[in-house]
Amino acid sequence: MMLKDIFKNGKILLLSLILFVVSFSLLLTSCYPGDPISPSDTDVVTTFKNSAADFSSKFSYAMPDSVIHLGKDGPVESESPAIDQQILSAVERNMAAAGYTPEANPDQADVLVVAVVRTTQWVTGGCYPWYWGYYYPYPGYCYPVAYTYETGSLLIIMVDPERSGEIDPREALWISGINGLLSSSSNTAARINSNVDQAFKQSPYLSDGK
Amino acid sequence: MTAKTFNRKILYAGLILLVLAGPGFGQDWISAITYQISFPSGDTKQFADETSFTGFGLDFRKPVDRYTTVGLMFGWNVFNQRVTKTAELAMENPITITGLQDRTLNSFPVMLNAHRYLGQGKDRRLYIGLNAGGYYMLQRFSIGINTFQKDQWQWGIIPEIGFVMPLQGGSTLILNGKYNYAFTGQSPLGGDINHEYWTIGIGFAWRQY
Repeated sequence: MMLKDIFKNGKILLLSLILFVVSFSLLLTSCYPGDPISPSDTDVVTTFKNSAADFSSKFSYAMPDSVIHLGKDGPVESESPAIDQQILSAVERNMAAAGYTPEANPDQADVLVVAVVRTTQWVTGGCYPWYWGYYYPYPGYCYPVAYTYETGSLLIIMVDPERSGEIDPREALWISGINGLLSSSSNTAARINSNVDQAFKQSPYLSDGK
Repeated sequence: MTAKTFNRKILYAGLILLVLAGPGFGQDWISAITYQISFPSGDTKQFADETSFTGFGLDFRKPVDRYTTVGLMFGWNVFNQRVTKTAELAMENPITITGLQDRTLNSFPVMLNAHRYLGQGKDRRLYIGLNAGGYYMLQRFSIGINTFQKDQWQWGIIPEIGFVMPLQGGSTLILNGKYNYAFTGQSPLGGDINHEYWTIGIGFAWRQY
């Protein structure tokens, strides 16, 4: 039995097969996922850990009593102090859950934590210098991964207080970026809590040694 | 390049291949086209864990004796998944990212193959085969307003088992199952990835003359 007896001559099939592929390919064009449907769908929580950081020796933290709002040209006034307070409360709650105790004097703290809100879209991809303020670092324009943050993104930054002067941002111990959290007024309170909680949840190493 | 533009290019490529399937191949070439359903496994399942109903395969086989064909195959399998989960980006310093993600894999196997047809029946034949070559993999990982992508050639193989049966009207039904495995590859999230998935195909085969 020859193979040609199994496979029939099929010239007349060609047109129908072309139609089949055309129909099928058009069907495929509709098979990519659609757009997000709610503000919370666009929330993205990113955390960065300095691979050299040892959190098992960190037990206390100091944090300013306000959130830094950074505009295009530098710090700007907060338009939402109530939301700021909620952000700080969420960070404090999670730091406590991770085993850290608050320290009023930054000089005595094992780590410094600052919360920063970007009021403009922030396109990153390089590492620019950071500068230290009076007690706390002034995080200029850097994040250690190519990423675009939407307006209203929240950064929570943990640094070593022993550092001083200009430092390489890659030496931050831990950074969390929560994308676009404050870009919409939709359910902001719940989203602050859930996203800050997620930032700590996906960083279990913060609890090392505690 | 948008997804629709990309798919339009694929459509044109498919049409060109089909035209080739007509007069482009000489006498005694066997052509086959199959619709494929694909099931991700291994690293592919980790990347996009949803059954794919979008895929097809195109085979050109040349008989070399009564039981054997050699030839080449092309394929296209699409995996999509929208999911909210946590992913790790393999970088010098670990980065973890959580959010709604759109993960897409377009796999284009292009391989040489050999098939052995078992038995001597004239109304149906079982066959086994091996495809060897590679895949062009288009991988997209979108989260928030960011997209990470990695498009690359990955070497691989496809063991295959199938069944052919002549139909009335001048065509032949072909059913097959394939295990797709890529030996080498990198994930759009960094690190190595070895894509693998299973496909079930059904379609038609015909012989040129």
